[in-house]
Amino acid sequence: MVSLKKVGFWPLVCCVALFLILVAYLFLLASNLMYLGLSDLLIFLPRERLWVRVGLTLYTSVIATFFSLVIGIPAGYALSRLKLPWPSLTSTLLDLPVMVPPAAIGAFLLGFMASFPVKNVCEFLNIEFAHNTAGVILVQFVVTLAFCCRLMKAGFDNVNPRYEAVSRSLGSSLPRTLRKVTLPMAKNSIIASAFIVWARAAAEWEALMIFVGGIMGKTDVLPFSVYLDWNGGLMGEVVTYSLISIAMAVLSMSAMYFIGGRTRAF
Amino acid sequence: MPSKLSYFSKRQKAQILNSVLYLIIILVLLATCWLFLSNVDTLFPDETYHQVEGMDQWRSGGETVSEERMSFGGGFWKKPGFWRSVNITFVSSTITMIIAALIGIPAAYALSRYKIPGGRFIDILLASIIVLPSSSVGLCLIVMFQFTWLFDLQKLLDMHLVYSLPGIVVVQLVLSLAMGIRAWKAAFDDFNPRFELVARSLGSSSWRSFRTVTLPCVKGGLIAGCIVAWARAAAEFGGILIFCSTFSERPESYFSSVTKAIGLNNADNLAVSMWSHIEYGNLELGFAMGFTLVLISACSVYIIHRLGGKSYQW
Repeated sequence: MVSLKKVGFWPLVCCVALFLILVAYLFLLASNLMYLGLSDLLIFLPRERLWVRVGLTLYTSVIATFFSLVIGIPAGYALSRLKLPWPSLTSTLLDLPVMVPPAAIGAFLLGFMASFPVKNVCEFLNIEFAHNTAGVILVQFVVTLAFCCRLMKAGFDNVNPRYEAVSRSLGSSLPRTLRKVTLPMAKNSIIASAFIVWARAAAEWEALMIFVGGIMGKTDVLPFSVYLDWNGGLMGEVVTYSLISIAMAVLSMSAMYFIGGRTRAF
Repeated sequence: MPSKLSYFSKRQKAQILNSVLYLIIILVLLATCWLFLSNVDTLFPDETYHQVEGMDQWRSGGETVSEERMSFGGGFWKKPGFWRSVNITFVSSTITMIIAALIGIPAAYALSRYKIPGGRFIDILLASIIVLPSSSVGLCLIVMFQFTWLFDLQKLLDMHLVYSLPGIVVVQLVLSLAMGIRAWKAAFDDFNPRFELVARSLGSSSWRSFRTVTLPCVKGGLIAGCIVAWARAAAEFGGILIFCSTFSERPESYFSSVTKAIGLNNADNLAVSMWSHIEYGNLELGFAMGFTLVLISACSVYIIHRLGGKSYQW
């Protein structure tokens, strides 16, 4: 038995604080399952409504993640290697959509989609964003893009530019260097970031409330339907949705740590 | 054998790639700027009046629009409700930040310094709290405080957290504590523990070496983490909407005299208030609150960058 005097007062305080926080968080995550119980969960799980919404969530968030990565990987590489003018201003601007409440982003998207170049492009492409699934994808894309760039930058920062320089000096072209040296070295952190971006896209609903609204079968992704059915008073279904959201978050984060765990960017 | 004919030289190819990279960054920056700037015209009711005209006449029974609504931003600086919203945002997030710092900094220190079993499990737990949908957080908290032993505890203490003003702090604490612990842990990780060990070997206690050696050295990182926690708390929306509901339409008698004296009665968080105003059709006032939120987050992000912290802890 280790005496209190030997351990000391301060380490004990630290460990007790950490223990309390972890217990509170575990209780928070487990509370839904404790409330519903396994037998009730088995009643609510086979309902078709639930799986339609799960499918919609997966569909929208995977597409949004794809677009985020398509722009985020080159942007992250550029942020990592290029020197931008006015660094404090540009980095503040880049990080702004991460910190602004997503609800405000949804409100700002209203004016953005009605403004001059964007509106004309949408009309030309014939995509309807308001009250539509495309709007959900747009919201998830806008909310995740900023920190996708940031995570990619963190990943590429871990790759020493010396390796690229060596590869260039041995005569390979820049695209070939990117393909053969930089991308394989940053692969783990790119996969890890993709999981984070996907989890964040699947958790987005606040901006949906203002930008697209709740339309059955089109915009009711899981986190949003938690709110919608909560207002409808369907407690059992709401708790089931919430449980699936929690499972998605925990699974993606576990995958993130087990696949991309070797990087120390996160 | 002749080599493959290429239109561009190698140097030109590198230059093209560089300029493409610059172009992508500039496009992202411009789009971010335009996302916020394209809404400025909403603050001037001459432009937006046409959008809400029908709704306004329907609401006021055919009367003309008041002078106040036609002024800049719906005359937000003259509205006591706006200032009460700002007040409640600042007060609640500051209280949240203080509580989070008091519990979170020791916890982050323990995570960073001591060998805690299941470190990866703790990482996964904190990360999944961060990516949890806020509606799910609100629902979990409701279930936690209404349907478990915590409900009996609340009854024993004669208090009620669900749908109450202190509940805002509880919701904000969930996310800001998780974000804060990540930021503070990163700050402690950057500091070499050798200095502390030297202080320990010279005979100071663990608390004294923390206070006199570690704390002054990681001060900047800790303050950056505090601002991350503060900004996240100020941006909280979904959880508050579900766990605390809205306050602006509640009767005067609901609020205690202390609450009224500080000016926290009949007002919501800025984000919730913005949502309710936009849904109701008060676009100018709602967007004035939206721009206030953007201003607050821009200031906090700038300070975090100046202090050398990371604001993108997702």
